[in-house]
Amino acid sequence: MSIEVTNVNKAFGSFKALNHIDLKISTGELVALLGPSGSGKTTLLRIIAGLETADAGSIIFDGEDNTEKSTQDRKVGFVFQHYALFRHMTVFENIAFGLKVRPSKLRPSKEAINGKVRELLSLVKMEELAQRYPAQLSGGQRQRIALARALAVEPKVLLLDEPFGALDAKVRKDLRRWLRKLHDEYPITSVFVTHDQEEALDVADRIVILNQGKIEQMGTPEEVYDNPVNPFVYNFLGNVNLFHGRVHNGKVEIGSLKLDIPEHAKKDNKEIVSYSRPHDIEISVEDEGKGFIPAEILFIRALGPVVNLELKRTDSGDYLEAEISKERFKELELHEKQKVYLRPKDFRVFIPEDYVI
Amino acid sequence: MAGNISAQYMITNDIKRQEPKTMQLILISVALIFFVLILIIPLVAVFVKAFEQGAGLYVFSISDPIALQAIKLTLITIGFAVVINTVFGLTVAWAVAKFKFKGKNLFVTFLDLPFAISPIIAGMIFILLFSTTHGLLAPLLNAFDLQVMFAPAGIILVTLFVTMPFIARELIPLMEAQGTVEEEAALSLGASGWKTFLLITLPNIKWALLYGVILTAARAAGEFGAVSVVSGHIRGLTNTLPLHVEILYNEYQFSAAFAVSSLLTIIAIINLVVKNIADWRIKKQENRS
Repeated sequence: MSIEVTNVNKAFGSFKALNHIDLKISTGELVALLGPSGSGKTTLLRIIAGLETADAGSIIFDGEDNTEKSTQDRKVGFVFQHYALFRHMTVFENIAFGLKVRPSKLRPSKEAINGKVRELLSLVKMEELAQRYPAQLSGGQRQRIALARALAVEPKVLLLDEPFGALDAKVRKDLRRWLRKLHDEYPITSVFVTHDQEEALDVADRIVILNQGKIEQMGTPEEVYDNPVNPFVYNFLGNVNLFHGRVHNGKVEIGSLKLDIPEHAKKDNKEIVSYSRPHDIEISVEDEGKGFIPAEILFIRALGPVVNLELKRTDSGDYLEAEISKERFKELELHEKQKVYLRPKDFRVFIPEDYVI
Repeated sequence: MAGNISAQYMITNDIKRQEPKTMQLILISVALIFFVLILIIPLVAVFVKAFEQGAGLYVFSISDPIALQAIKLTLITIGFAVVINTVFGLTVAWAVAKFKFKGKNLFVTFLDLPFAISPIIAGMIFILLFSTTHGLLAPLLNAFDLQVMFAPAGIILVTLFVTMPFIARELIPLMEAQGTVEEEAALSLGASGWKTFLLITLPNIKWALLYGVILTAARAAGEFGAVSVVSGHIRGLTNTLPLHVEILYNEYQFSAAFAVSSLLTIIAIINLVVKNIADWRIKKQENRS
């Protein structure tokens, strides 16, 4: 089922949680709503589910207006942040609940319900725990039961609110993979909320980045990671280095470094900020005369195949981060307190007046 | 309330580990002696006095038509108080715990008014409202020829007033702690509002609700002051058990008075037992979640 959110507004008192949100999600997509806390992502998810009503705008499922429909009638599966399992029911009863409460005409037979619950228990690999109570389960197990319970009613849309937020790192990663696999096998249109950019980039087909109740950018993980439209998105999706400089004659001047920027050629003599990811920083031991920026290595962290360097620019005193491969690191024979020269290989320039962070 | 009880329980456990044996002994003995003097002896005395002049008089005292009427009126009053306050208490607790609205704190404060006010004032309030000679609603009552004061209706009304907060007070903290997330989950799974209440909300609050019902029943059975003001003490018509006890006592029928008292005491003991079961279940439920 496709979801269309058009021009949705929501305010809590004077706080604007959502501001003119337009969003289209096609059938079978797995979409992440990503943003810092207070960005409105959970509110948007709850409005799609009908747990919250929008002040304006509409929610359309498969071309059918659902704005006025109650949660019960929307047929969405919702997985809550803290699972919200029914504490007085066993795992089995929890999963069966959605089928058991149907009006008698639509209710499957007892055998059919039992069969469905068993099928879901094996899907989440928890057959042995059917008679346990939620309090007797671990966080990861509760999350899987919450998912099984939501899937039992065969929803057309699956909505997940910070599904892995309360779990430890290892379980989180496993469940993330598992969710991706599940979605590939059962392609239900799914939307999940997260504040973890790594999680969004890893799992989602498409990422919607929200900030202060507005959508900043939408796109595939590659699109948003490689082409952030503004400094906020750049900052939010991973580590970033800032270089303050000026535009002059179609070139950016950062310290002694001059780089071409055709897209901002017309804006002459303006303050700019260029952004560059740590892995896009080129390091050299000698000044090669191309206007590299001088810096000093403060700290080296050589874990795994990637070596992290913390650097301090000797011209401006700004701190930078760089990532280089272990081979390159050995080749250069770097050590702490060493003087090096660096240059952003790939970067984006934003004029601060255009974007106020 | 149940939360406090389990917290206290844990604290006593800690102290037990630290205090020396003699201190333990002294404290336990003092508590026990006090308990026997103040609670057990009077309780036993009620039954001893009741049977002082033989079982025959005991049976006669409580099967006398006027006594039977008092028992009946007391039970009816308990029934009304429990049913109406359960509905009211659930409504109020739901509204306070699950919704946000203006003036909520003030509302909750006023909910305690019946606890804060002296029962005799409670009775007076109802006289001032419903008296057919000088009450605020007198013209209306006279027009329809209704008698509220000095009638069972008045007794039920004041009992409702004095027992109003019990159930709501018991439910509000629990429902606030539980939040609405399980209800939301039930709704998202397609359950109707009524089924959500029946299958999710009620099982989660049932022991606290029972606890509130017990407190309400105990107070409704035992209320003397407020009921005394509005009853008019018409024998065989508007006397509840506590009022009947007073009348017997004033007429120097001590054994009969204690016989009827023993009935109230039995009601109280039953309430206590059920209350303890509810308490124990609430604690168990809390441990589980």
